[in-house]
Amino acid sequence: MRAPSLRALGFVSAWGPGAQALPADARQAAAGRPVLSLERPERAGDRYRRATRECLLGLTAVERMLEDASATRADIAGERTALIYVTAAAYGPSNLAFIERGGSGIHFAYTAPAVVPAEVAIEFGVTGPYTILLGGAPATLRAIAHAASLLQDGACDRALVLALEVFEECAALYARGRRLLGAPLVEAAGCLWLEPGQGELVLDRARGGRVRMDPTRRRLGESLSCEPLAGLALARERATGRLELRGAWRGERLRLTWTEARPTSPARVA
Amino acid sequence: MTERIAIVAAGVVTPIGQGLESFWSALLTGASGITPIERFPVDDLRVGRGGEIKKLSRMESWARVPDCRATRLLISAADELIAQSGGSPLAADAQRVAVVVGTALGGVEEGERALAGDRRRRRLRDALYDSPGHNLARWLGATGPVMTVSTACASGATALALGADLLRRDEADAVVAGGYDVLCRFVMRGFDALRSLTRDQVRPFDRRRSGLLLGEGAALVLLRRERDGRGRLGTLLGYGSASDACHVAAPDPEGRGLQRSMAAALAQAGLGPDDIDFVSAHGTGTPVNDRVETAALKRALGRRAYAIPVNSIKPSMGHTMGAAATLEAIMCLLASRHGVIPPTLHLEEPDPACDLDYVPGNPRPARPRVSLSTSLGFGGCNAALVLEGAA
Repeated sequence: MRAPSLRALGFVSAWGPGAQALPADARQAAAGRPVLSLERPERAGDRYRRATRECLLGLTAVERMLEDASATRADIAGERTALIYVTAAAYGPSNLAFIERGGSGIHFAYTAPAVVPAEVAIEFGVTGPYTILLGGAPATLRAIAHAASLLQDGACDRALVLALEVFEECAALYARGRRLLGAPLVEAAGCLWLEPGQGELVLDRARGGRVRMDPTRRRLGESLSCEPLAGLALARERATGRLELRGAWRGERLRLTWTEARPTSPARVA
Repeated sequence: MTERIAIVAAGVVTPIGQGLESFWSALLTGASGITPIERFPVDDLRVGRGGEIKKLSRMESWARVPDCRATRLLISAADELIAQSGGSPLAADAQRVAVVVGTALGGVEEGERALAGDRRRRRLRDALYDSPGHNLARWLGATGPVMTVSTACASGATALALGADLLRRDEADAVVAGGYDVLCRFVMRGFDALRSLTRDQVRPFDRRRSGLLLGEGAALVLLRRERDGRGRLGTLLGYGSASDACHVAAPDPEGRGLQRSMAAALAQAGLGPDDIDFVSAHGTGTPVNDRVETAALKRALGRRAYAIPVNSIKPSMGHTMGAAATLEAIMCLLASRHGVIPPTLHLEEPDPACDLDYVPGNPRPARPRVSLSTSLGFGGCNAALVLEGAA
């Protein structure tokens, strides 16, 4: 498959903005805290008051991507921009709240995974191909491959891959399900801007290596779908022309090998 | 035009029938699967009816299958899929068999149970929306890619498209793809709060239409590359999707996203409006949806929209959410096979704003070769499939 070109990447985690904020060892830096959270972004206006924290974090990720690209909202608006959203669990807080407390129709609407990309699409006027994948890091690798297919087929001129995870509201539940998840749980949001490229993208099964020893996971912690975006941010700091992203979830281990994903500005990750 | 993908076999579990034959027969006879809901309390809701499956009858034993209704709906559909495909849908290499399922609600009912005091770890794991898909893959013995998509009520269409992409990219040789959703208190409370549920019949495109009813079900198809053997049911020719970028819970009043998704699906299929013989509409029966959908169909298909039959099968079983688009795709292929189009039930007084041929009353003798199936969902999700029935 033809590899897309990486135009920009916005990434923020509970450690701070960009790859440079990641500690050398997340477990050690967490000092026993099971969940590291991102604050609800402050935004003025009625439309934002009803939106969930995860929706606003999605907007933040896209804004950081635009900063990284030195681009404006107009540059991603319209039907030639595809939006692919990935999460494993970001619908958890709204689901939990609705199960426990009920609410109005609009509260129910915000329980859908689709509401995060919907808010992004509304905010930035993105009206092109639209896909939502649920799962951990392998789902994000598949989202990148799907974006590459859309670009290769000419279905869009640019594709945004948005990944987002929040854990704080469901921390007690995740403590019960700890065999499924690693630690610490680190909230994060990131968005890639991909354009047609000339390199090669290969998605295949990853073999060997313990998942918890993965260098990205060691620095980020458990961030499920956001892990490949952190890996990409770290790779940009190294300014390599060929990179390998790995992801594991529920027994599936994938490797994405991406050549000529050379960043436009290697030192900067918004 | 991209590579054609064969739809080799299908399996369904619905409120009107478990299995393709009973599903098809019920669509033609106008049987109703709408009943009072019995599986969970609804006394505090405005509407307590829906398309509830009273008993999963296909499987003889649920031993070693998780006690998760969503998983069991999927496995019931998969059991029929296996039977339809001659006993084994799996390729020689299980690593080359993929599972792609779409859902609006995933395993949310397991979350309800966990929060109600069921402390088994399994509950929490199955509450994650991608669990039922992984459970299905395990039951099938499929060890290839496992994907869950959630484009709300368009999920069943997106799943077929992403399954087709896996075949085109040679990541799999066979894909079990489709959609599912369960009727549970969570979703009934939600739609009740939205005031979207009707106390009347579901009447798509009728002047008196007053809302939808929910249903549950699962629908799966087996996809292969057409060059690997022609499909027995039909072919997936094209898919398109688009975002409304308008509202989190309501469709674009102009239906522009739906129109774009239809245009993209036709483009991928390499076809034009005049090639379309039949439209399976989303047709929920809400005042807004049916008007918006009609307008979008007219803009996407032009004059052709007036010349072809358009139906909705939601009145008989309710809106099955993640399963709906796959069920409707299968209905299109069965219409081609049997030479008859199921009617839109309870459409008696046409709405002047909905002025297409919606197949009211009785089944219509016709053998559509190429069908267009449309879907809309929360979050401004729009999807369209172009399908060709096996001659």
